Amino acid sequence: MRAALAIAAKDLRQRIRDRSAIAIAIVAPFGLAAMFALLIPTGAGAFQVTYAVVDADRGPLAAAFRAGPLAGLVDAGVAELVELPSEAVARDRVAARAVDAAIVIPAGFSDAVVAGVAAEIVVVGNVDANLATQVATSVASGFIDELAAIRLAVATTIVVEGSVPDPARSTELAERAQRTRVPIDIVGTTADSRQAGSATFYAASMAVFFLFFTAQFGVLSLLGERRTGTLSRIAAAPVPAWAIVLGKALATFVLAAGSMTVLVVASSLLLGARWGDPAAVSLLVLGVVVSAMGITALITTLTRTEEQAGNWNSIAAMVLAILGGAFFPVSRGPEFLQQASVLTPHAWFLRGIGDLAPPDAGISAVLVPIAALFAIGIVTGAVGLLRAARIVVGR
Amino acid sequence: MTEPAVVHGATAPPVLACSDLRKRYGSRVAVDGVGFTIAAGETYGLLGPNGAGKTTTISMICGILVRDGGTVEVAGTPVDVGTPAARAAIGYVPQDLAIYPDLTARENLAFFARLYGLSGGAARARIDEVLEIVDLADRGGDRTDQYSGGMKRRLNIAIGLLHRPRLLVLDEPTVGVDPQSRNAILASVEALGREGMAILYTTHYMEEAERLCDRVGIIDEGRIQAEGTRRELVSLVGQRDTVNLAATGDLPAAAAALAGLDGVVEATPADGGLELIVDDARGNLARFLGTASDAGLSVSAVEVVEPNLEAVFLHLTGRALRD
Repeated sequence: MRAALAIAAKDLRQRIRDRSAIAIAIVAPFGLAAMFALLIPTGAGAFQVTYAVVDADRGPLAAAFRAGPLAGLVDAGVAELVELPSEAVARDRVAARAVDAAIVIPAGFSDAVVAGVAAEIVVVGNVDANLATQVATSVASGFIDELAAIRLAVATTIVVEGSVPDPARSTELAERAQRTRVPIDIVGTTADSRQAGSATFYAASMAVFFLFFTAQFGVLSLLGERRTGTLSRIAAAPVPAWAIVLGKALATFVLAAGSMTVLVVASSLLLGARWGDPAAVSLLVLGVVVSAMGITALITTLTRTEEQAGNWNSIAAMVLAILGGAFFPVSRGPEFLQQASVLTPHAWFLRGIGDLAPPDAGISAVLVPIAALFAIGIVTGAVGLLRAARIVVGR
Repeated sequence: MTEPAVVHGATAPPVLACSDLRKRYGSRVAVDGVGFTIAAGETYGLLGPNGAGKTTTISMICGILVRDGGTVEVAGTPVDVGTPAARAAIGYVPQDLAIYPDLTARENLAFFARLYGLSGGAARARIDEVLEIVDLADRGGDRTDQYSGGMKRRLNIAIGLLHRPRLLVLDEPTVGVDPQSRNAILASVEALGREGMAILYTTHYMEEAERLCDRVGIIDEGRIQAEGTRRELVSLVGQRDTVNLAATGDLPAAAAALAGLDGVVEATPADGGLELIVDDARGNLARFLGTASDAGLSVSAVEVVEPNLEAVFLHLTGRALRD
């Protein structure tokens, strides 16, 4: 153990003197996280629009639309609504870019729906707010689709029962119309649900992305020391091979866990990131460090030179980061990508950080991500360490 | 050649005893049945060209390379890859500059000292000592990437001396150094041998083997081709020493007197002196000069020409050492 500590201390001393290591471990992930957080906000602050609403109908279904889907947008913190008296005024406001889009419910809308004739909701878009217009159109279309389903239900009831619905049935259908939900999953992207804020998300995603460059240091240095001859000199000392590998692993762990800790603290203080329960975050950090060390050890020991190892580890870091959702939400990708993401530490770590977003979330909320991270690390690390020991002993 | 201060030879147990060492890499045989012993205070040279199997042999001796066959004992303890404690008696100086360029010399030494169980004041004192031995005491606090090649070589050796090993293994320690540093390194090795350390010295420089080594094993294609003192090896070739005397006086009479001495094979007058073909010129030189003086010669210069190990290697392998 004494030899392992000596090797770890020597390696850490070398790393600390190597400014590029500090840049990769701390400066780069923090800098990129700050840039992403500023440029690509997510959560409550990511998408906020102002819609003009013109209710020329004043009927029950217009009221249901405003009380249902439109109110949902406001509650989600996505939209601010401005009531305007006419479509003309609304168009002027849109043209003046005072609002992002206008939603106009024409006079006679409710009557047309009830009569089963064509009815429409008009969305007036701003060319500079294409996304806002698309969202408004999607909300309106969803509501219309829901109404069509409700009308079908009413018609079916009439045919089966041979009479008009009773008042209780009509009331139920009206309530269903009012409960019509927003046809896009806005609820899932609010800060109060299971998604971290932008600063937290990007701090976490960049931390875990760069962690894969920091975590490869230990096994990579074994290859480097083999090349320079210092490994054979260490091996010639009365030191067992496992102590050499352990020393390398200890240094890597301290460096990787240290850089993650610095990033958690710095992003909290400087970027306003909210990581959640400290104990749970600590376990997630330990888990992701172990898994990154395991994967990089496995990859590195399958190569022959530092250059090969560096290239393969870089590829792995990028692919796993993409698959794991560190750059883009995997939920928008094909099904097989979503399934593949569960093999990445990134996905489990980010999921864990997301699960800690609610203020009352603790360790129990992230037991599955923690277990998954340690499982990935132990499986890959066991193979990697066995192979690393073979690097130490000449054959 | 340096006279060893303490050579126990066959009477004392050897510090290193290895036998029948074997190593293959696929179909290529790197080492094939190598074996030898080294006593305390003895410097043993493994002389051979690059690729002869020197480094593979010492890697197996140091327990850092799994061997296919053979045995190694250092100070009576079997050495193997799986027995790290047995390696404590060995000081290994690899051919590569196995030092950390981003650490100072003292930091390098302190790190390896800890691996050998030295720490605290004892380690600091020993680090000071070895820095003195290799003449780097005034530069111990400098990062080694600021060192010259020769200084790095000397530090490379210093690390191997830290724990006062019974056996010091030096693998081509003078490769790529300037003549001044080479002389300093060779002088250090000579001093260590005089202090009683057993030294295994691999080189492809014939001059170094002749200067340092009490016995030499000539290795080629993974096998020890011949082993012995320089004189024993030279005798294999059948060549004798030549002594050229620049002298004035009755040269024919002196030649006749010298020709009657034991060890003198032939004595002939030559231009401005005598040429003697002898056995062991160095050992008998004083006797030869005394006889020449008694015969009335006035000797102004003496030149001894000995057949060298290069000739032995050429004789044994049909190739020059640097081929």
